[in-house]
Amino acid sequence: MEIGKISLHKVNTSKNANETNNIQKNQMATNPFGVSFKGNVIQADVFESSKQTIGKGFAEKSKLFASAVVSGINNFNEAFKSRMNSIVSFGKKITSNVFESIERIGNTEITFDMEGIKNRLFPDRQFSVKQLTNKSVEELKNLWCDLTPQAV
Amino acid sequence: MEDIKKIKNIIQALGEHKDSQAAIELLTELGTNSADDEIREITAQTLIKKNTHESLRVVLISKGKGINDLSARVAMSSINELLSLKDKAEAIKILDDTIKLHSDEEVRNTARSVRALMTFA
Repeated sequence: MEIGKISLHKVNTSKNANETNNIQKNQMATNPFGVSFKGNVIQADVFESSKQTIGKGFAEKSKLFASAVVSGINNFNEAFKSRMNSIVSFGKKITSNVFESIERIGNTEITFDMEGIKNRLFPDRQFSVKQLTNKSVEELKNLWCDLTPQAV
Repeated sequence: MEDIKKIKNIIQALGEHKDSQAAIELLTELGTNSADDEIREITAQTLIKKNTHESLRVVLISKGKGINDLSARVAMSSINELLSLKDKAEAIKILDDTIKLHSDEEVRNTARSVRALMTFA
């Protein structure tokens, strides 16, 4: 009930005290929570406000919103779990690969062919006179034949 | 590095090689018979620089090699190398024998001319 429709019942006590008593009795019968203030009787539903309808709508909306949030949280949890699983499996794979690599390194004998590395880095260096002088004549012949295939 | 430069280095290395006999044989086999004038020229110079009986014989008495090369450039550079030798004794001895004993007249004439140049050098 709206405030404008509140039924205020003014009672003139000086004119008719009996009428007043009758009205009060009737009101008490219809509204057990009715309270009288200085001759004015105010019904309990005077506090009901049209704003409460807004509050109800808000509550309904908030429920919908809450359910949406909950479902969203569930979806997020599922997505998070799946991603976490993929991350965990990736981490396990990396870890196993690292251990395998370490084992391989442990079982690998590393040797450096310095002469071969030098020849690869400086391919012309093996044709320096100093390097060639240390080679046998047969090796020099092979090198010469490689450079001039027509030479026999 | 170009191939010709590498071959030059191989020839130079053979000139300084400890196994002199094998080096001379290889230079004679591959160097003096090369189709490239530059390689023949360097080979002849290397053999002359070695200044041994075997190396000088190749460039002095062999037809078409050393001072008898058909290329004037190779022949002239060989003669210049002979003239610049400090010890010419072995070269003069071989030239004298060639002038006296060689069967080919052209080789004998060339040897005679070079011998004359070496006398005045």
